[in-house]
Amino acid sequence: MLELINQLADPIGAIIGFVLTIMVLSYIIGDNILFRLAISIFIGVASGYAAVLVFYNVLWHQVLVPVIQMATTGSMDNLLTYVIRVVPAVLLGLWMMTKVSPRLARGGTPVLAFLAGVGAATVIAGAVRGTIFPQVGASVNLLDTQSAPPELSNLVGWFINGLVVLVGTVTTLIYFQFGIKRQEEGVPVQRAVVLDYLSTAGQGFIVVTLGVLFAGVYIAALSSLVDRVRFLWDTVIRFF
Amino acid sequence: MTDIICPLCGKTNPPDRDECQYCQAPLKTSGFIPSSDQDEISQLFPPSSKPGEEENLTSQTEATSPLEDAIPDWLKQTEANFLEKSEAELEVPTPDNISEQIDSLLNQPFTPASDEKPAIDDEWLASLLAEAGATEPAPVASQEEISDEGAGAAETDITESHIEEPDEEEQQLPAELPQKPDWLTNLEAASPIKLEGGIPPAREPVERAIGVEAAGEEEEGPSQDIPDWISKPGLEVSTPSAKESEQPIAPAELPGWLEAFRPDEEVSPTRPVEDLSAADIVTAGPLVGLRGVISPRSSAIRASKPPTYSIKLRVTDEQQARVEMMKAMLADEDKPRPLPSQPAITSWTIFRLVIAVVLILPIFWMIISRSQQAPAPQPGDFPGMVDFTQQVQLLPNGAPVLLAFDYEVGFSGEMNLAISTVIDQLISKSAYLTLVSTTPSGPALAESLLKNIGSSEEGNPAPYSYYTDLGYIPGGTMGLLGLATSPRSVLPYSLDGNNVWTFAPLNTISSIKDFSAVFVMTNDPDTARAWIEQTGPSLQAEGTPLLIVSSAQAEPLIRPYYEATPKQVQGLVAGLAGGLAYGRTVGSTQQNGVWDALSIGVTISVLIILIGSIASVILIMLASEKKKGS
Repeated sequence: MLELINQLADPIGAIIGFVLTIMVLSYIIGDNILFRLAISIFIGVASGYAAVLVFYNVLWHQVLVPVIQMATTGSMDNLLTYVIRVVPAVLLGLWMMTKVSPRLARGGTPVLAFLAGVGAATVIAGAVRGTIFPQVGASVNLLDTQSAPPELSNLVGWFINGLVVLVGTVTTLIYFQFGIKRQEEGVPVQRAVVLDYLSTAGQGFIVVTLGVLFAGVYIAALSSLVDRVRFLWDTVIRFF
Repeated sequence: MTDIICPLCGKTNPPDRDECQYCQAPLKTSGFIPSSDQDEISQLFPPSSKPGEEENLTSQTEATSPLEDAIPDWLKQTEANFLEKSEAELEVPTPDNISEQIDSLLNQPFTPASDEKPAIDDEWLASLLAEAGATEPAPVASQEEISDEGAGAAETDITESHIEEPDEEEQQLPAELPQKPDWLTNLEAASPIKLEGGIPPAREPVERAIGVEAAGEEEEGPSQDIPDWISKPGLEVSTPSAKESEQPIAPAELPGWLEAFRPDEEVSPTRPVEDLSAADIVTAGPLVGLRGVISPRSSAIRASKPPTYSIKLRVTDEQQARVEMMKAMLADEDKPRPLPSQPAITSWTIFRLVIAVVLILPIFWMIISRSQQAPAPQPGDFPGMVDFTQQVQLLPNGAPVLLAFDYEVGFSGEMNLAISTVIDQLISKSAYLTLVSTTPSGPALAESLLKNIGSSEEGNPAPYSYYTDLGYIPGGTMGLLGLATSPRSVLPYSLDGNNVWTFAPLNTISSIKDFSAVFVMTNDPDTARAWIEQTGPSLQAEGTPLLIVSSAQAEPLIRPYYEATPKQVQGLVAGLAGGLAYGRTVGSTQQNGVWDALSIGVTISVLIILIGSIASVILIMLASEKKKGS
């Protein structure tokens, strides 16, 4: 029976996928109940799977299994490690469960503050070490002659590339500069003309960047469409 | 003629005097007029209770009232004894003696109930009261009945009966006359008031008797037995003079201006009248025995109907119209308003269908025909592709590698081609695959992909099993940092429940830098940045390559990390085109028309955008010219 189910699982899954794909593509004719039903199924399945996975992967294997192993084997070698690493996490987790109740929600605020603080520190430290400093250094070294290619043809391209990156970085930063020098009373407040031109150039770089990002998103969506069309055709060929 | 006893000085006065000849106190209104020398006694003590008439009254009451039969002998003897003593004192009646006796009776000090002799036959008296069906004090009622029956003949014989000698049995009673006579004490004790609340003070029975008499005046007619002076609550209270009481009160004449203020009442202004007939008798406290002193219910007071005032608001027609309008608006708020019906097929629906058909049909045709007309992407056209390929080629056989499946299911069509090629290369090197994910759907995607890749291998239908799935990394960015520093503590067990860190090759892994390479497969630039920021420094310190397979939408944000100096990402494969290019580098040229479909789809999309932009510009120009012309 189990073997039969394993054999039928693939074709049944293919049929279900085919039907759900058609239901999603029905959005072409507008919002309809088939599209909503498919979206609801996806959300429900994803949520259920995530809940089972978190319970099985985290709570079961990291919280309960060690206790069961210690109880069955009688070995207390990992007891200290368990108490130090798991017990505080479990207590904090239970403490945070007070957020479920509106009456006790304030009680879970310290745990939430602890999580937010640790998370912010982790993100900021990682951004400083992994993004800001390395990227600033890379921008500074773009026109470093020691890293220039020896070939002349490549050198022109290297120089143009570095120059575009430099100009794009500077003008984009200028675009986000909104400070204006204080003027005398009665004199109209206006940014310097040079900064206005550079800001406009920076705005152009931003538009190009957003266009590239949009193109990437569109290419990704189109790739998914191609994959779904191929899936539909393969399913049709498979059963007919 | 009877003399009038002054209530103030107690001396007798002629009956024709209005004022006391000794103290000038008014006599007619409050004076005590005895009918004879013993009238005062007869007034205080009804004839029915006097032992002098015991025989006559007994014969009369036997025929008329059963209450007389129930009177115990001891009470009769007590009364006879008292009357005998009183007779002895009344032999020489003087006004002073009479006054002192009355004063002694009325001003007797209060004796606690516990000191008094308790009622002996309360039960028989209660039964009598029950038979009579009256709530009034039974002794008083019986005395009145008896006095009514025998009043005609007994009044003149009272003194004679008082003078009669008591019998021997009566002489055995204590000769000492108490300050308060026993018969009176017994009479008080036998009253229903005592039954309910205890024995009242000695002065109380007289007052209660007066009160009951006064209360019953309206029902039973005016009582002539009790004089006015004794019906007063206290002797010390001065009574109004006869002149004052006789003077009629003339109605006041209100001035005209005050009369104008007088309201016209629909109901005659009457004061609240308290009906005492149904009021309860106070059974405890200093007001015990009085009726209706404290009304237990407010309903006993019949208040007059309050005047009614009109509350009609004068509104104009315009205001009334506005009120009606507001009511209509409020009523409409609750009514569901149907949305305007739209036609099933609109121009936008047709336009959308046209674009979908134009876009999908060519793609569908390319897939059906498995077209390979479009030139395949070359690895040199994609930055990071060559480095990526080199890093994979440099991996030793059987080396442990970490694969992070951090992309959503919807991007599997775009990324699976590149990922499949990468995993094929790793399988060819027999690398130990360690699967992790920061998204809940990642482990399922990894398992599914490995199963499909292993079973599709030619000559090796069995799925690839040299791997472990550590599952989901909880904690997001903090989980990644924990994985970089101590993967054993973050993911101690695999999804199978095995402690894989105790077996080769993971037993040599203490941190993420101990892996031979780290592959991150993601469609989200933020996820890629988190991996770079949290694990990059550790990997760079040991020279472990960080290779990223990303979606086309994340490539622009990941490439700066690859192009940085030194490189934070050692290899990059992005999108469907990158996967195809990477496939060409490893010798896989199979595309099944996917690249042609993507190419024609992009071309049609560009054309649609251009046509739409041109049409929009033309429409704007036409609109502006039309506006200028108008």
